[in-house]
Amino acid sequence: MDILTRVLFTLLGLFIILNWGLLMTAIMRKLTAKVGRRVGIRWYQPWINLIKLYGKRNSISHGVMYQLGPVFRLLGGVGLVLFMPLIFGSEYFTNFSFTGDLVLIIYIKFFGMLGMALGAGEGGHPYSAVGVSRGLAQVTTVEVPFTLAVIALAVQYNTISIHEIVAAQQGGILNWTIFTNPVASAAALLSMLGIFMHSPFDLHTAPNEIPIGPPTEYHSAYLGLLRTNAAILHVIEAILFMNLFFGGANNWIELIIKTFFIYFFSVFVGVVSPRFRIDQSARWFLKVPLLLGIIAIILIL
Amino acid sequence: MVAPIYIIAVALGIAFLLAFLKSRGSKVAEFIMELTIAFMAFISLQWLIGFLSGTVTEKTVYTAGFEPPFSINLVMGKMEAFFASLVNVAGLLGGVYLRKRLKEQGANAVIVYLLLFMGLNAIIMTRDIFNLFVFLEISSVAIVGLILLQRDVNAIAAGFKYLMAIGVISGLMLIGIIFVYQFTGSLYLNDIIGANLTTFKGGIVAVFLVLIAVVLELKPFPANGWALDVYQSANPGLAALISAAFASALIFVLHKLMPIAGSDWQIIFATIGAVTFVGSNLLGIKQSSARRLLGYSSVGQMGLLVMITGLTQFLNDKLTLIAYGILISHYLAKAGLFWLAGIIENDNIRNWSVLRKKPFLLVIFGTFVFALIGFPPFPSFFAKWELIMQLAANAGYTWVVLILLGSFLEGVYLFRWLGYAIKLDNLDLPDFKITWEKIIPVAIVSVGLYILGYFATPIAGGAGNLNFIAIAFVIVIFLVDFLPAKLKNAIAIAAIALYGYTFMPGLYETDGLRFFFSIIFIIGGILTLIPGFAYSGKRRGFYPAVLLMYAGLGELLTAETMLQFFFAWEIMTIGSYILIIRGKHSITHGYSYMLFSVGGAYLLLAGFGIAFASSGMQNLEALANITTLAGWASALIAIGFMTKTATLGLHIWLPGAHAEAESDVSPMVSAILLKAGVFGLVLLLIHLGADKAMEHPLVYVLGWLGALTALIGNLSAVFQEDAKRLLAYSSIGQLGYILFAFAIMTHVGWLAGFTYTINHFLYKALLFLIIGGIVLRLKTHNMYEMGGLIKRMPYSFIAVLVGIIALAGMPPLSGFAGKWLFYNAGIERGWYFQGAIVFFAGIIAFLYLYRLIHAIFLGQLKDKHRTVQEISPWFLIPAYILIIGIMVFSAMPELVLKPVGQFTAQYFPNETLQWQADGTAIGQLGYWNNTQIMIVVMGAFALILLWLLMLNRNAKKVEQFNMVYASERPERPETTHIAYNMFAHYNKALGFISTPRITGVWNWISEGVHALADQVRRIYTGNGQAYILHVLAYIVIVYLLTTGGF
Repeated sequence: MDILTRVLFTLLGLFIILNWGLLMTAIMRKLTAKVGRRVGIRWYQPWINLIKLYGKRNSISHGVMYQLGPVFRLLGGVGLVLFMPLIFGSEYFTNFSFTGDLVLIIYIKFFGMLGMALGAGEGGHPYSAVGVSRGLAQVTTVEVPFTLAVIALAVQYNTISIHEIVAAQQGGILNWTIFTNPVASAAALLSMLGIFMHSPFDLHTAPNEIPIGPPTEYHSAYLGLLRTNAAILHVIEAILFMNLFFGGANNWIELIIKTFFIYFFSVFVGVVSPRFRIDQSARWFLKVPLLLGIIAIILIL
Repeated sequence: MVAPIYIIAVALGIAFLLAFLKSRGSKVAEFIMELTIAFMAFISLQWLIGFLSGTVTEKTVYTAGFEPPFSINLVMGKMEAFFASLVNVAGLLGGVYLRKRLKEQGANAVIVYLLLFMGLNAIIMTRDIFNLFVFLEISSVAIVGLILLQRDVNAIAAGFKYLMAIGVISGLMLIGIIFVYQFTGSLYLNDIIGANLTTFKGGIVAVFLVLIAVVLELKPFPANGWALDVYQSANPGLAALISAAFASALIFVLHKLMPIAGSDWQIIFATIGAVTFVGSNLLGIKQSSARRLLGYSSVGQMGLLVMITGLTQFLNDKLTLIAYGILISHYLAKAGLFWLAGIIENDNIRNWSVLRKKPFLLVIFGTFVFALIGFPPFPSFFAKWELIMQLAANAGYTWVVLILLGSFLEGVYLFRWLGYAIKLDNLDLPDFKITWEKIIPVAIVSVGLYILGYFATPIAGGAGNLNFIAIAFVIVIFLVDFLPAKLKNAIAIAAIALYGYTFMPGLYETDGLRFFFSIIFIIGGILTLIPGFAYSGKRRGFYPAVLLMYAGLGELLTAETMLQFFFAWEIMTIGSYILIIRGKHSITHGYSYMLFSVGGAYLLLAGFGIAFASSGMQNLEALANITTLAGWASALIAIGFMTKTATLGLHIWLPGAHAEAESDVSPMVSAILLKAGVFGLVLLLIHLGADKAMEHPLVYVLGWLGALTALIGNLSAVFQEDAKRLLAYSSIGQLGYILFAFAIMTHVGWLAGFTYTINHFLYKALLFLIIGGIVLRLKTHNMYEMGGLIKRMPYSFIAVLVGIIALAGMPPLSGFAGKWLFYNAGIERGWYFQGAIVFFAGIIAFLYLYRLIHAIFLGQLKDKHRTVQEISPWFLIPAYILIIGIMVFSAMPELVLKPVGQFTAQYFPNETLQWQADGTAIGQLGYWNNTQIMIVVMGAFALILLWLLMLNRNAKKVEQFNMVYASERPERPETTHIAYNMFAHYNKALGFISTPRITGVWNWISEGVHALADQVRRIYTGNGQAYILHVLAYIVIVYLLTTGGF
């Protein structure tokens, strides 16, 4: 496949993911509103928000890094899409996954995080820095059980290529990792709660309070980029878990169904859980999830 | 050839003559005495040179023309010539030093002085045991006389105690001699030796009494309170002679008398020596009086020599080098130190910082200290090396442990003292005068140490073609230290480049490993010297230290034998110690660096000793052929190297040392020096047999240590307020990764290790350069005092940004190469838990990296920094060269990794990483193509950026503080800038892991040893009677131990 076709199909995949992500955001917002006995937003509100943000004529800048922050952030989300095989068996939607494996996916995620943190930092708002420090602190422990699960998977399938991990899960629902390696999957799925950063792990943005968290100083197109990224990130991270634990997807319908349930697992947990402080959430991942991860490793020794 | 009898005859004659000259004034007397001793020295040196060149043979002088035992006879052999020369040269120099005092004290003092040296010469040459006793008495009494001539109450008290002790000791000796005569009917030494006195009980007592008296004269611990008081209170010029000349003569006496006892008793002497060496040095660590401290050190060194005398059977043909090497280093250095003590006339070691007012004296002081401990290039270095090698070869491991322990304790107080002299404040201290007659002897002995070191080199086994050119150049640089810093900087850069040119070309073809490290050491050396141009003035002492360190690093790479390696290692340690301790607040950090270095070096020495013993080889290949105690050897060597890589447990010196070093020193010691430890470990692992060693228990331990080091290092970095300390802890963590990766012992693991090594060099040098430049500008290390500097220092910001992205291991920069390789290697090896810990550590790194860049560059600019300038271009230039390096390595990692993989393949033939034509690396588990990743990421980045720029083309630049702040207004920048205790929450969650428990353990050990020393030294009550009791008790105990009962 020539490079142009690959780029176009990647963009197509990105477009689908973005819209699916916006729709899921709307559903999530609606759901949490209903739980809180509110009416909630209209289902198309996220699109309107995006259009409004990108259309703003006034904007300010705190400096170069401030401007680059959202670019890095979106690059983190888009990068995940670029290097993630989306549809198993489809040459068109493998994107650029031939250049790197699971390790690349794990580390490209941090790119956006750090970029955002830098941009927010130059904004100069103390709440931004507070939010960043909280977010980063939580991420460190979230990744520990997840890593152990990934190692367990790598040993189980003797590969760290996502494509091959998906391939190994084909041929029936019982071949999915969640059934072949339930302990590792459990560890990873608990970590996932931290990765999606819904309640109880959402202190770093504290979405219900007055603006606090990294995006405090962002507005107009900057915030547009951040919102775009959030939508993409929700889906692509769900796709990562789908690929690793739920047999991947053979077509877009399957992808949409699976990512919906993966994502909403964290939303459901979120709506019924009060928020942790950061020291609590950081420790939480080093308790049951870590224990599960360790058991997962012991099982493969 | 002047007959040896003239030494005594002239001394005696002139002494009598001087008695007549008394009335003519002491001026002439003193001059005549000098001439006499010069003549004595001339005779003995003439004989010595004769023996060395082989033109003379041993000469026996029969007094009164009879053969022994009917007359006293004197022998001038090679050893006698040597010791007589030592004594007479000391007498000559000491006489010059004491010139003024002797003149003041008049002709009587001059006569006593002359008699002292006559006595010493006689006890060296005589073969008659009673004659020996008589001259020993003469010398001792002469010393007491000289002490008592000082009008000082302490000196008189000390002299009196000395006299009491000598009385008891000589009484015993005399009784012993009487018994000996009773049993043998002869006083002639050769007859006595032939009589085998130790075969019957009375004979044992006789021999014991004679020998214990000599031993007691050598002031063994703990029966030596009387001697310590003398060292402390006597005139330093005199103490120098007691320590150097008198003790040397006595050592020879012991050597001469030892055969009476036969070889069975040797072990007793070795034990006595060992107890003295360790005990005395232990007590030394609590001393704050310089002269008393020198006394402890003297006693300790004599203990070591007694020990060597007792261990001759183990030392084979190297005995000469060992005994003379240690003796002569002690002789020169100790005399010099006592003389120095006399020059500065300040007895508290804390006040020796006054030495800095005469910088060349500080250098001389350093020379003496390093010579005493046994650092190259001094004779004691080679002697100690051979001592350990030979002892190990004869399985004398207990002795090895005792010697290294004692030496370490000696290092504890000598380096504390040196540190005080280099660093403590000296503004309040009065300047001191130096006179030519006091300086000349000191200068002569210090130069002598270097010259003798040079000549001692070829005698040591495996010294081979040890390269002194680099060291010679260091000395040249030292001599031109008056030149401006910028010029010296240029010379230093040229010198390192030239030095690299002498061995780097062609190295890649023959030895990829060494080529790899030579790039870090040499290229890194040049890059880290460039910031030196930013400094003005002269920077005295900086360039010799830098060049010494780089000379050591370079010689590590060219070393072929273990000795050469160790030589280079120690050279590097000296240089780096001086560099580190130069920092403003580095006194304690330089000290702890040195202690860990010395301790580590001794472990290396012991490990090399086992390797030599086991393989019989002097080459580094010996490490591959260890058959006995292989586990011990590799563990000792590994720990030795890990003191330099600052592995967990041995890391506590690093944060302070790196953080407090000068701005351009930090990158040297962090990015480059640490790699010396890595190089050592790699060498060790190669010689373990690389692929065979996979199951070696050591590598498991190293792997876990590496992982835990990474975790603790990184976590501690998160909680630092000091930017350089943060980077220093980060280095600990990074070195943990490196250790972990090499311990994996597979092809991919080693690739990961080398990748981390080169990466750490690149980004840590980069970060330390920039942060160092900022520290120079802002005059603070505290990050919370910075903030918002991106506006003032954009180029620094970009550099730090690149550095932290690379360090964090985020694609597409080169750090990711390390992460990817490490993942593959860890899983391939099955080290899941350790791997997970390292991964966890890697993510924790984000926290401190963010803290670093945010607290310094982002957030709120402080008012006082609104006009601060970008950092010096001399710091930016090397930083940007390093950035180019990072970029090239990132864009085409195969440029580096392919050749590294090739030379790694010679150790791990089972290559599991393949490179495809398009640059994709295929491992057993995964695949990765950084070039393409870079293109994709850069492409996406460019597109998103363009889009944002299009959308926000009209963005209005706003001032600081123009931000959303609810209904409040921001406070001052200080309160709005989030930097202080930034990760308080994380500290609450996980801070307990990084509680400095290990520091606590080391402190506990240190305090324990000091408390022990403090308790033990209370036996020295200052009471003369108690001291005599010690002597008697000592005799009884040693007798019981020797004979096993009455």
